[in-house]
Amino acid sequence: MGVFRYTRQSFVREVLFIAIALAFCVPWYILLTLSLKTNTQVYFSPLSLPTKGYFRNYSIAWNQSGLGGSMLNSFIITVASVAGLIVVGSLGGYAIARRESKLASGLYFLFVLGIILPFQLAILPTFFIFRHLHLTGGLLGMILLHIGLTTPLSVFLYTGFVRALPREYEEAAQVDGAGFLRTYLRVVFPLLSPVTGTVAVLSSVVIWNDFFVSLIFLFGSTTQTLPLALYSFVSEDVSQYNLIMAAVAITIVPILAFYIFAQRQLIRGFAGGIRG
Amino acid sequence: MYPDGTRALSDFNLHIADGEFMVFVGPSGCGKTTALRMVAGLEEITEGEIRIGDELINTVEPRQRDVAMVFQNYALYPHMSVFENIAFPLRARRLSRSEIERRVVHTASLLGLEDLLKRRPRALSGGQRQRVAMGRAIVREPQVFLMDEPLSNLDAKLRVQMRAEITRLQRRLGVTTIYVTHDQVEALTMGDRIVVMRKGVLQQVGPPQELFDRPANLFVASFIGSPVMNMLRATIRSVANGRSFVCCIGDQELALPESFADERPEIRSWIDRDLVVGIRPEHMVDAALDADRHPRLRARAVLVQALGSERLVHFEMPGHPVLTDEVLEVARDADASIAETLEREAKGGTTVSLIARYDTRSSIAVDENAEIAVPAQHLHFFDLGTGAVTAAPESNGRVVVQEAAAASSR
Repeated sequence: MGVFRYTRQSFVREVLFIAIALAFCVPWYILLTLSLKTNTQVYFSPLSLPTKGYFRNYSIAWNQSGLGGSMLNSFIITVASVAGLIVVGSLGGYAIARRESKLASGLYFLFVLGIILPFQLAILPTFFIFRHLHLTGGLLGMILLHIGLTTPLSVFLYTGFVRALPREYEEAAQVDGAGFLRTYLRVVFPLLSPVTGTVAVLSSVVIWNDFFVSLIFLFGSTTQTLPLALYSFVSEDVSQYNLIMAAVAITIVPILAFYIFAQRQLIRGFAGGIRG
Repeated sequence: MYPDGTRALSDFNLHIADGEFMVFVGPSGCGKTTALRMVAGLEEITEGEIRIGDELINTVEPRQRDVAMVFQNYALYPHMSVFENIAFPLRARRLSRSEIERRVVHTASLLGLEDLLKRRPRALSGGQRQRVAMGRAIVREPQVFLMDEPLSNLDAKLRVQMRAEITRLQRRLGVTTIYVTHDQVEALTMGDRIVVMRKGVLQQVGPPQELFDRPANLFVASFIGSPVMNMLRATIRSVANGRSFVCCIGDQELALPESFADERPEIRSWIDRDLVVGIRPEHMVDAALDADRHPRLRARAVLVQALGSERLVHFEMPGHPVLTDEVLEVARDADASIAETLEREAKGGTTVSLIARYDTRSSIAVDENAEIAVPAQHLHFFDLGTGAVTAAPESNGRVVVQEAAAASSR
């Protein structure tokens, strides 16, 4: 590769990329502009820029929809699930990758199956078991459920990563006098941080945005997550699109902030590898 | 033992003295690293015993064996600073904070790492990383150091420097050390004793000089020394009613002095057997400069390499090259192309190559037909079939290992 030269080709390529990027921005544009308009403007000029920002939409949406309480629930569920998931996934992936027994490869196969099979197949029995154990309609049940649902993918990711990790680090730790727990906590887990980042970002987005599972397992209770609160808000104020968009924007902000913050980790985890 | 039933190591009996620097050397796949990992406890032992001191450690966990290991790629924990890396084994032993601090700083000063303690391994040069790995091993004051090719990732110059540094450190600390390498120069320069291994079998154990002077078999002979020992097919015939002997190489006869039969009376049993005669390049003398009237071989010089302090002269002469598995294995380990050349030569089968390490006073030029003086006391005789030595020459002189020669022959 020589010095980069800006040719007609690179110009065309750039225009193409910008066009694609713009297409992805359209929903954002609609969301944000609608959330800042009056309801009349929404109907008469839906695509124009808002003449004057009606930020009151946000406070109205916040107050009317009860987003505050459900945001706290979503936050607790997401953080606790992801934390539990990282513990279970990393230990599971580590054990499966390092054990050479048939049991380990059998388990790995089961986890892969867990990714492939749609969980909706098992939703009814799971629901009955959860109800029997009084786990429906509460935060703990949701946390356990989310850990269970996202474990296969995270075990899969962790296993792949550990397999590529040189054994020498663990062997060095062993010879240095560290037991299993110290080796895992002080050496292995820190080395897994790229994939931990990936697992955290992927699963937190999924869990934060989850609607279907929450709808079923929280049905009939006062505990609500953000998507559920949004859903009931839409049903009540079906015509007030400016308020709905404001509420949607509010629910997106936290997870978007986390995503932007953790984006680097995500890419690093996918790219894989340890240097040092 | 591997799952398929091949033994990684067999009949491996070795006693290493306290404070000894023992080097395991051999081509790749000879089992030297496996042997080392068995001592560390990282490899399971199916048969036999390993003891440190009086304690049988076969089933002892690696972390309780009180051994420290330096890995080939150092295995420094990338997420920890140099300080934390060196402190790790101490933390695992739950020493007090002040004690850890004291010992890490002391170790760092021993290795010249004081200014690097806050850095991450990533920010260090190869030599510095190597030193941190050493530091992590010595900070514990273990009973045994295990080093698995610790210098193989360094460039040639640094390797020579670190070689001396490790030797000095080991002498100073007096800790028993097992050092694995595939580089015979490293083995010769560093070890108190050397273990030469091949395909999981111990070939010979001894001090460097002994291995050089009296290799037990063809494999050790061709592995130790650089340039490699010249190997020629030969037979012994008796002349003058059995009072003296000649060594026939190709169409030439090397007259052995009468004293030879007195020194090695077993020569009578060698008569008419297929033998391999080995001559080290450093024992060959330019006949023009030979005052002692040693037996001579005639050969044509094909290449002369002047190295400043010496001249490497490559000869060709009629004869049968030796191409045993041992020789091929050593050649292949050094460079696949050398093995190919050997095989090609063997197919032609009428000329053999020799390398002589001559004094700079030698004035031999390329294409010259010259005489090579070969002191009989330095000849090595091996059985062609078994590769075992038939009788070893007397030990004398000292090992001369020179970098330039090693580099040019590889």
